[in-house]
Amino acid sequence: MFFQIIFAAVFSGGLVDARKIRGISSSYKRFYRERKSFLCIDGSKIIPFEQVNDDYCDCDDGSDEPGTSACPRGRFYCTNLGFRPHYIPSSRVNDGICDCCDASDEYNSHAHCQNTCWNLGQKERAYVEVQMRTLDEGLRLKQQLIEEGVLLWREKQAQLRELQQVAEDLQIKLEEHRRRKHEADQLKEQTLKALAAGDSGLGRWNRTVSSVFQLLDSNGDGSITVDEVQAKVSFVHDEEQILSEEEAAALLGGGQRMDLIKFQHTLWEVLTKGDNVKIKDTPSSPVGEDPHLQAADKAAEWETTNLKKVEEAYDTVNMEISDLQKKLAIDYGTDWEFLFLNSQCYKLKVYEYTYTLCPFNQVLQKNTAGTEVSLGKWGMWAGTAKNQYSQMVYENGEPCWQGGSRSTTVTLTCGTETALRSVKEPSKCQYMMDFQTPVACQPVLKQRGIHSEL
Amino acid sequence: MAPVLLLWLAVCLSGAWAVDRGNFKTCDQSAFCKRQRALKPAESPYRALLETMELTNTKLTLQLINDNNKVRLLLELYRLQGNMTRVKINELKPLKPRYEVPDVLIREPPTEPLSLLSQDENGVVLSLGAESQRVIVSARPFRLDIMEGREVVMSLNSRGLLAFEHLRMRKDTFSYKVTSTVASVWDNIKRVFTSQTEPEVEKNEEADPANQAETAKDEDKAVDGMWEETFKSHSDSKPNGPSAVSLDFSLPGVEHVYGIPEHADDLRLKTTDNGDPYRLYNLDVFQYELYNPMALYGAVPVMLAHNTHRTTGIFWLNAAETWVDISSNTAGKTVFGKMLDYVQGSSETPQTDVRWISESGIIDVFIMLGPTPTDVFAQYASLTGTQSFPPLASLGYHQCRWNYNDQEDVRSVDAGFDEHDIPYDFIWLDIEHTDGKRYFTWDPHKFATPKEMLQGLKDKKRKMVAIVDPHIKVDSNYKIHNEIRSRDFYVKNKDGGDYEGWCWPGNAGYPDFTRADMRDWWASMFAYDQYEGTMDNLHTWNDMNEPSVFNGPEVTMHKDAMHGDWEHRDVHNIYGLYVHRATAEGLIQRSGGTERPFVLTRAFFAGSQRYGAVWTGDNAAEWDHLKISIPMCLSLGLVGISFCGADVGGFFKSPGAELLVRWYQTGAYQPFFRAHAHMDTARREPWLFGPENTALIREAVRQRYTLLPYWYQLFYQAHRTGYPVMRPLWVEYPQDPATFAVDNEFLIGKDLLVHPVTEEGARGVTAFLPGKHEVWFDVHTFQKHNGAQNLYIPVTMSSIPVFQRGGSIIPRKLRVRRSSLCMEDDPYTLYVALNVQRTAEGELYIDDGHTFNYEKKEFIHRRLSFINNSLSSVNLAPDAQFTTASWIERIVILGASKPSKVIVKTTDGQESPVEFEFDASMSVLTLRKPGMNAGEDWTVTLQ
Repeated sequence: MFFQIIFAAVFSGGLVDARKIRGISSSYKRFYRERKSFLCIDGSKIIPFEQVNDDYCDCDDGSDEPGTSACPRGRFYCTNLGFRPHYIPSSRVNDGICDCCDASDEYNSHAHCQNTCWNLGQKERAYVEVQMRTLDEGLRLKQQLIEEGVLLWREKQAQLRELQQVAEDLQIKLEEHRRRKHEADQLKEQTLKALAAGDSGLGRWNRTVSSVFQLLDSNGDGSITVDEVQAKVSFVHDEEQILSEEEAAALLGGGQRMDLIKFQHTLWEVLTKGDNVKIKDTPSSPVGEDPHLQAADKAAEWETTNLKKVEEAYDTVNMEISDLQKKLAIDYGTDWEFLFLNSQCYKLKVYEYTYTLCPFNQVLQKNTAGTEVSLGKWGMWAGTAKNQYSQMVYENGEPCWQGGSRSTTVTLTCGTETALRSVKEPSKCQYMMDFQTPVACQPVLKQRGIHSEL
Repeated sequence: MAPVLLLWLAVCLSGAWAVDRGNFKTCDQSAFCKRQRALKPAESPYRALLETMELTNTKLTLQLINDNNKVRLLLELYRLQGNMTRVKINELKPLKPRYEVPDVLIREPPTEPLSLLSQDENGVVLSLGAESQRVIVSARPFRLDIMEGREVVMSLNSRGLLAFEHLRMRKDTFSYKVTSTVASVWDNIKRVFTSQTEPEVEKNEEADPANQAETAKDEDKAVDGMWEETFKSHSDSKPNGPSAVSLDFSLPGVEHVYGIPEHADDLRLKTTDNGDPYRLYNLDVFQYELYNPMALYGAVPVMLAHNTHRTTGIFWLNAAETWVDISSNTAGKTVFGKMLDYVQGSSETPQTDVRWISESGIIDVFIMLGPTPTDVFAQYASLTGTQSFPPLASLGYHQCRWNYNDQEDVRSVDAGFDEHDIPYDFIWLDIEHTDGKRYFTWDPHKFATPKEMLQGLKDKKRKMVAIVDPHIKVDSNYKIHNEIRSRDFYVKNKDGGDYEGWCWPGNAGYPDFTRADMRDWWASMFAYDQYEGTMDNLHTWNDMNEPSVFNGPEVTMHKDAMHGDWEHRDVHNIYGLYVHRATAEGLIQRSGGTERPFVLTRAFFAGSQRYGAVWTGDNAAEWDHLKISIPMCLSLGLVGISFCGADVGGFFKSPGAELLVRWYQTGAYQPFFRAHAHMDTARREPWLFGPENTALIREAVRQRYTLLPYWYQLFYQAHRTGYPVMRPLWVEYPQDPATFAVDNEFLIGKDLLVHPVTEEGARGVTAFLPGKHEVWFDVHTFQKHNGAQNLYIPVTMSSIPVFQRGGSIIPRKLRVRRSSLCMEDDPYTLYVALNVQRTAEGELYIDDGHTFNYEKKEFIHRRLSFINNSLSSVNLAPDAQFTTASWIERIVILGASKPSKVIVKTTDGQESPVEFEFDASMSVLTLRKPGMNAGEDWTVTLQ
């Protein structure tokens, strides 16, 4: 491909009639055909043809001096056989610096320029080849990553839906728990009201059998034992005196233990009468003293705890959802090809600093002492209009001492690996990163490359 | 570049953008200034003892006595060649020698004989050479009057402010008591063995130190701060006690005085009655304030006085802290009042009174009697030398920033200039390029291969400047420090140990640059084998050489630090000059004496012009700072320092695009053209402000490059004569009072008038075109304007109002390339601007641009003159030899009429016609490609 073009250039070069006119490309030779007079290309002036390339600028557009440095706005065409032809400003003709690889710009200077076009061409071709291979490989990898990205995207979407489902379930649960808590609270309130309204003697025993049973049943095994009675029951006349084992056993109807049903018909009645024995240490407050109230209180507490747990779970899930939604709201490219970078971090050591780029998240700088400084949090894509995905901006990092805060601009370039390639700080607190990744490879670039490189 | 780190934080936190005045002394806080300023004009206690007068071939000597304390002074009066008078006053018998500033005068100034015209008991009259100038020495009280004819040109001590604090023993110390006892014993012994009894008066006048101390007792007691002084937390031990000197000068008929840089103030000096005097004390002032008399980085104790018929100068050669008071009898008068005086023929002539006060040393003053401005320039140049002749490249554009981070950064900025087709000659590296602020080294990572970098620049015919500051990191692994310490070259503290202070590297020592052996060693460090990684296209920048000491009093060195036998107090203002000098000598030596050095300095003193360029320090990106760059550089030019510039864009803060563009447009027409920026500011390379602004900056820089031949020729002239390159209007129009206070425009040489746009959003400027008989041509449009008028010029962002004087010829090179060196062989275009007499004159100077070979007569210097319709080039230096490839490409004659034919005649007698074009609307005649070699004789005739 290259050779064909070069051959063509050589071939057509041989046909150029205006070869004596220095500094023009073959496409311009038509302007220099007339041998009597020369019309400045902008049409501004006609001059004798001898004044073309006579080292004096006659035309405002510089067209009469394509081969000298005479015109301030002129340009000189480097043919550069074997390499890329290109224009240089006229001011670089005979300035002692080799600009054209074919040395054609230094035809009257002290500079000893070698024709390096062939070498450059070879290097360029090798370079382009590598670039093309990189591009091919990059595009292949990119395709994979796009596919992965799509899957990942779907996965994330599914995850989102799942979470949303969980959230919905939790919402129902939450409502249920709210209702239950409400009921428990109400019960508690009613109990309290009743307690406050009723006579203290009555109210005092206005407890359910089971609640008193529960009270006595310290270990909660469903039966009352001798020592449980000893612990909780005392004589009415002398609270200090502990019931003997026999007395306690007697209260249990002569047995060692008693279940709720038996209790209801024996001890309960004794206690209710309250002639001899009573429940020890009944607190002065009616709540504490009243088993119904205690139970209602406990139930309300229980429901509160339960509700809290559910609420927490609901909040967690919602947070996860909003995190995920935020992540999913980021623009990961037309095919979600940048999605895989999310949750990844890339490091590079530059002199005494280690830089970490976590795409779509943040940029960090760590010095050898281990101090970490934020160089910015994900801001936005900031590429060109043609390819907005060529640059990322991270903003609002650690503040700078002369005002403002640190920020980082990340330029994405095509490569076969995903890696941080360079970090610079051209101005204080303004960082520039070069980030290479296959997903930055652009097929358009490839096509343009072929056209211009050859 | 560099501000003060410690202050920085404080200022940043407070968010204020101005100098912290509290860090710097007012006159009241400087004990000697307060003491001296308390003296009010009165009859002087000094009397001339005419019987002690001795007149030799070269000088007159005379003793003065202070009738209050009987201390005698010795006055020496010299008539110097070139219409100057030198007045030197020292103690007759000082307790110990007083510092006399060495190394500033380029030689002992040659004298002319003085002759005695008359003498009586009231005084003597001496003739000052052949002219009608006389100096009258009045005896009681002592005063000097310099007369020309019947007119007093200048009077000294006419207000009785001569004061000389004699050295004395401290009375409350043990050593004093011992000495005074011994002395009185000795007196008694003498008395016993002396047969003749001395008259009482004589004895009292005996300049015995102990007696002096005794007699001066009353003076001593009254004033604090004589033997010790504290400012903020710093104390000055003052082991030598009071030592100030002061003298007043009266300038009858003078209303305009200039000079005594460096101050961020107007060109015309103001009276100081209602505030502090102008202060001269080299200081690293962080974020300096404009329009006040505070001291800045450099000091040149030279003042010029001017009126319509005479220019004179006063050069006060003293390197200690100095304050200058200015008062005027017309300062308070309104214009109306002055007019009334004129109408009524008021008897009072305007007069300016000046008073100099220095902390130590002696009075050594050179009175330059002009009478023209150029005479004064030549006189001052004959004393302190002229501007060093800079390498041509250093007149190009300089790109600087604190900092270009690494070699890759340098490479890409360099490439940026090519990409945007903007020429530049030097790229600069600030302190961050070093290995931990160890000067003469490179950061091993960021600048790992400096030679590669320098070669890269050299391949583009460009150069680099790297910073070398005088503070040396105290670090036993640092070669420079170890060598200085082992040679015992550091400045000492008052206790005899090495003086140490904080600067960029942390703890640092300060080499004693006042020592010649130290300077020689320093210079040797620039050798290519010593300063590793350097090549011939690396030049040097000396910053922080006031010296800056972050934790010192007023951010500088303690005055009781010792330089050998002398206190820092004595040498302070000359320290920076010595650093600059040693560095420039180093660059010369590394080339074997062949290459001209380029060294930029921030601190300076009288004579610094001999060593390189100066910039106005750490300015800010503000419109007022752009404006002040003009008077600041004009003031420096008046006192010999022509190679002056301000940081383009402003050092602190970030300029907006408009300010940046205007600054480039201004800087392109100032002698030293460098953009610089603080580390904390955003990048501002010329192409970072959008294509339109890039184009505007490109155009400004290109204009600079086209004019390089003119700049170079003016620097050659400055080097030869001492005439400033950038001149105030009054220098060229000394008889037009309308020019005397102009400092918003200036002249380059005498032929280009520049009125930069320094107002934000300007739609137009009013330029004053001087000269009743002059015409001025707009260099862009060729439009002709008459002189002696205020001209309103509408401006756009691309406007840089510049005018070429009718009667001048300015050579330009229009093929602007990547750097000045690339333009070496390029042809010239001559711009011939005709005056009303239809004549014009100019010069063309060409040499190799970088060596000292011009001293060996290897140059071309030609006079170009247009008269009688013919332009010719005549050799101004027939004994000089140089060849150039450059030729005359084009001749543009402004204000011409259309010829029928144009003929060029060259040395070989050949005549050939020249094509031409005539633009009748602007009367511009352009001769096409006359083609003569620029070094040859030729004549072009219009027929």
